[in-house]
Amino acid sequence: MKLDVHCEMLLSEYHEKLPIYEKMKTVVLDLLRNCLDKNNILVSGLEARVKAEQSLAGKLELKGFKYHTLEDITDVLGARIITYYSDEVDIISALVEKMFEIDWANSVDKRKMLEIDRFGYLSLHYVCRIPETLYKDPELPQLNQIRFELQMRSTLQHVWANMYHDIGYKSNVEIPIEYQRNMTRLAGMLELADEQFCRIRKEIMGYRRTVQSMVATGKLDEVPLNGDTFRSFLELKPFKNLADKIAAINHGEVYEDNLMPYYRILLNMNMKTIGDIVKMSKTYSESAYQLALLQLAGTGLDIVTYSVALQNLCIVAILKKGYGEAGLVSFFNALYGENDYHQQRAKRICEQARKINLI
Amino acid sequence: MKVTINKQNEKTLVTLEGRIDTTNADQFQQDIAPLMEDERPNIDIDCSGMTYTSSQGLRVFLLLQKSVVARNGKMVLHNMNPRVKEVFDITGFSNIITII
Repeated sequence: MKLDVHCEMLLSEYHEKLPIYEKMKTVVLDLLRNCLDKNNILVSGLEARVKAEQSLAGKLELKGFKYHTLEDITDVLGARIITYYSDEVDIISALVEKMFEIDWANSVDKRKMLEIDRFGYLSLHYVCRIPETLYKDPELPQLNQIRFELQMRSTLQHVWANMYHDIGYKSNVEIPIEYQRNMTRLAGMLELADEQFCRIRKEIMGYRRTVQSMVATGKLDEVPLNGDTFRSFLELKPFKNLADKIAAINHGEVYEDNLMPYYRILLNMNMKTIGDIVKMSKTYSESAYQLALLQLAGTGLDIVTYSVALQNLCIVAILKKGYGEAGLVSFFNALYGENDYHQQRAKRICEQARKINLI
Repeated sequence: MKVTINKQNEKTLVTLEGRIDTTNADQFQQDIAPLMEDERPNIDIDCSGMTYTSSQGLRVFLLLQKSVVARNGKMVLHNMNPRVKEVFDITGFSNIITII
């Protein structure tokens, strides 16, 4: 590759400033990562690179005359955020606008550049600076002067861009028009897929909100039991009274643990709706307490888990429905994994249940 | 109460002997303090010699379990005698601590 004197100077400036760009890369990645975490945004990818020497030389060979100094080349440092959904690009760009100084004259929304009958590269490119208010290193003032490019696009847009780059740019032969047309058709298809993913996610979120509101308003017989509805139901602390009552046997405390492992167990117990769980709780609460009373009274054990309430409710329900020792063993196996000890435990519980006339 | 800790490669083997009650729960907590230091701990506790635990002991196990989970590690209690296991069962601690 033959470069003129001006381009050779730019390349030498690049070598000189490489450590600054590398430092800047770390700072930009940290700032973006913190911002995404703070706003609870999960992304499919966050990456940054300092342009390789060969890539820069290639750019200079083609249009080096356009640049007076290295800082006129805004993508020496390039960062990229790849979102799961296309509509998240706008959410992230709004955060980026608040965070960095945007060079609007050089920023471009490629999503709006395509004609209505064209499909292709869709991505949002911002040229940014790190404001001193966000990050400052007195020994490296250039960190706040040098611009960098930040690309934001969805995973599917990213896939298309990568494939297009691989097929289109890397080839030494001009791509025949029918292949280009096929790439464009794919772009259209992925744009539709992106839109569908956003729509499906909105519908699922809508469904969750509806179910949460049904749980909150007590229409529990209409709420099917599934992972989402059970989680929403647990937020109402439905077993708190029983757990508190069990803890009070020894004037103790309740340790709040996770009840989600019981979701599969309740399905196995033929619970179809959240209402079924509520019915079980109402029907067997007193017996579940009596069982705990027999087990805990006089032991001095003054800490119990929140799940002990649901555990005892399930035990009582299994015994009352006539499943006996075998039912309890299945219950413990499902909850903790198979273990010979569960037979002994089931036997002991059956003996205790007889003492309080549960069975 | 006697606590023995042995590190074997990636695994930490712990042996508990005797009873854990109000009189020695603080000591038990101090004894197991080294288990709360490693990154991604893999702790295997042999409880065959443990004859009893009070709720003070349960609290120390809970503390250790939370610390292990916070460091993305795992902890397993095994060979527990049925009387001790019953304490974990009736308090619901079997639901939060892995006992095999």
